[in-house]
Amino acid sequence: MAPQTRKAAIVGGNRIPFARSNGAYARASNQDMLTATLDGLVARFGLQGQQVGEVVAGAVLKHARDFNLTRESVLGSRLSAATPAYDVQQACGTGLEAAVLVANKIALGQLESGIAGGVDTTSDAPMALNEDMRRALLAVNSAKTLQQRLKALSGIRPGQLVPEVPRNAEPRTGLAMGDHAAITAAEWEIGREEQDELTVRSHQALAAAYDRGFFDDLVTPFLGLTRDQNLRPDSSLEKLARLKPVFGQGADATMTAGNSTPLTDGASAVLLASDEWAAEHDLPVLAHLVDAQTAAVDYVHGGEGLLMAPAYAVPVLLARNELTLQDFDFYEVHEAFASTVLATMKAWEDPAFCKDKLGLDAPLGSIDRAKLNVHGSSLAAGHPFAATGGRIIATLAKALHEAGPGKRGLISICAAGGQGVVAILES
Amino acid sequence: MTRTVLDAPPAMPALFARAALTARGRGGDLPDTRLARLGVEVDPASLAAYSRVCGFPLADSLPVTYPHLLAFPLQVALMTEREFPLALPGLVHVRNQVDQLRPIGAGEALDVEVWAERLAAHVRGATVDLCASVAAGGAEVWRSRSTYLARGATAPEGAPEADVGVSVGALDRVSAQWRVPGDTGRRYAAVSGDMNPIHLTGVTAKAFGFKRAIAHGMWVKGRTLAALAGRLPDAVSVDVAFRKPLLLPGTVTLSTEPVEGGWDVAVRNAKAGTEHLLGTIRPS
Repeated sequence: MAPQTRKAAIVGGNRIPFARSNGAYARASNQDMLTATLDGLVARFGLQGQQVGEVVAGAVLKHARDFNLTRESVLGSRLSAATPAYDVQQACGTGLEAAVLVANKIALGQLESGIAGGVDTTSDAPMALNEDMRRALLAVNSAKTLQQRLKALSGIRPGQLVPEVPRNAEPRTGLAMGDHAAITAAEWEIGREEQDELTVRSHQALAAAYDRGFFDDLVTPFLGLTRDQNLRPDSSLEKLARLKPVFGQGADATMTAGNSTPLTDGASAVLLASDEWAAEHDLPVLAHLVDAQTAAVDYVHGGEGLLMAPAYAVPVLLARNELTLQDFDFYEVHEAFASTVLATMKAWEDPAFCKDKLGLDAPLGSIDRAKLNVHGSSLAAGHPFAATGGRIIATLAKALHEAGPGKRGLISICAAGGQGVVAILES
Repeated sequence: MTRTVLDAPPAMPALFARAALTARGRGGDLPDTRLARLGVEVDPASLAAYSRVCGFPLADSLPVTYPHLLAFPLQVALMTEREFPLALPGLVHVRNQVDQLRPIGAGEALDVEVWAERLAAHVRGATVDLCASVAAGGAEVWRSRSTYLARGATAPEGAPEADVGVSVGALDRVSAQWRVPGDTGRRYAAVSGDMNPIHLTGVTAKAFGFKRAIAHGMWVKGRTLAALAGRLPDAVSVDVAFRKPLLLPGTVTLSTEPVEGGWDVAVRNAKAGTEHLLGTIRPS
């Protein structure tokens, strides 16, 4: 075993443009998109036929037949077939968690290189058999005699032909993620206008980044898309103000289809390595993954907001690294909903929350908005659940590299199930 | 007191039919009889089916409400007997108290005994408590008190006042929202044997004055406890009042609040806020 740990380097990333649900990628499967994304990464870093240490990726909406999604994608890619792979799933935290796993193995000396990624499709989503039909068919399958089989078959009813479509709802609360976010938005008194402002900024920042070629070495066109399908460079407060709220109730309803992320299809991947491996392969080191932290909250019976876990994870990460919330040059706070970003920042500024919930003597304080999501985030790009982590890591690593050595960035991603994954990158 | 030990569970459809035919002409005091079954073993398939319908995880110990399923057929048999003063069809479950003294293993042999007591006066009729005690190895492990309201019935002279209220906190934060499908009554009837027609179909429910079929109170209670899986004391008292009926299909909200090492709970209509269940869950 390695006597000391080392920081894993982020060499670069690749993603396909994100498509709106039932849009450009309506016929593409998770495996199609992940394979294309890996191949784009392979082409970018000259890895044809090469073996990387491990490929770690996942999808949130995944069919049972895709149990080995990542390994199957590797086998269909230009990577060496001798590249091991495994799947992970931590809802919207999947992509970042995959990168943390790869980085930790590199840090321990168990890997010299690895790829972390994620993919999701809401168009080619898995549908399940009706639960009664499934149990009836299981009974038929386990029947040993003709008589038993006939008896089991007699349990099937026409109504059971209706399949189960995945619902975008938390299993334990029955509430859509947007409904949960609306509760949090109301609790923290997040206004409609500030949400719309954040949304416009996200679109403008992403469009500007595309325009100046920032994504030229981060995005590979796929199925006719060259930019994220959801991106609206001409987005404006006036246009957003016309949208009707879709989450929340009554006067408190502030969340619209504009200031919430749409259902999206897409994939992303990040190449991580030891500094030595990068040097040997004549590849750059954009940044290092310094540290990461997860947290979870009781959003069912505990009264905390579903998407508030990052608010708890960040102070733990800061304390371990002896940093303050202000010690960063870039902040990447995943825009699940504009209100989520605003509520998280408000929580860090709130003395009562920081004292009672986080156990801190003083609030974490404010974030300089000029450093927040400077290349746009999920509101503009879209949010194919497991692919968001890879998009953010590659974007932030490149931004840190551009800014010069010694710059620091914070990533904060909220996830279903009341979870959060946060990480620090440093150039 | 007379105590009758049954060798097998009574056949529920036959009991419900007999109860309907003998509904008229009942009255008087409660009979001093007890019905019992000894060494009852829980059927694993029935336990799995019950757990699935209510949302409990399938485990090696019984859901807190499960022994009710063992006691209920005996209670129905008791209420079907000629001497029982109230007519079973149309009885409404208005309160249910369960005390689990310790977790009960799914493989334990259980002695179940039921009786009726406390015929009481209620503004809308009379109430009666159907009680149950479940023992394992000679020691009581579980007991319950189900209070039923017979609308329009008259309690005998000198009967006590009915006690059907359970007081809980404000419970103004929603923990979960459930869409309750239209076949919930039939599904619960199939696993519990409670085939009261008010739960089965709209047509049969209308005959008893309900607009649509209504959910079994004990399903609502079971579903609520299932939502608190992993967060209940081992020795626990669960006391719930069934308020307005839950019409099927329907969408309801669950509110929970930690209180005194347990919980206050409320199940309400998602739109109108009508209370279906109010309950307290306490360590005992």
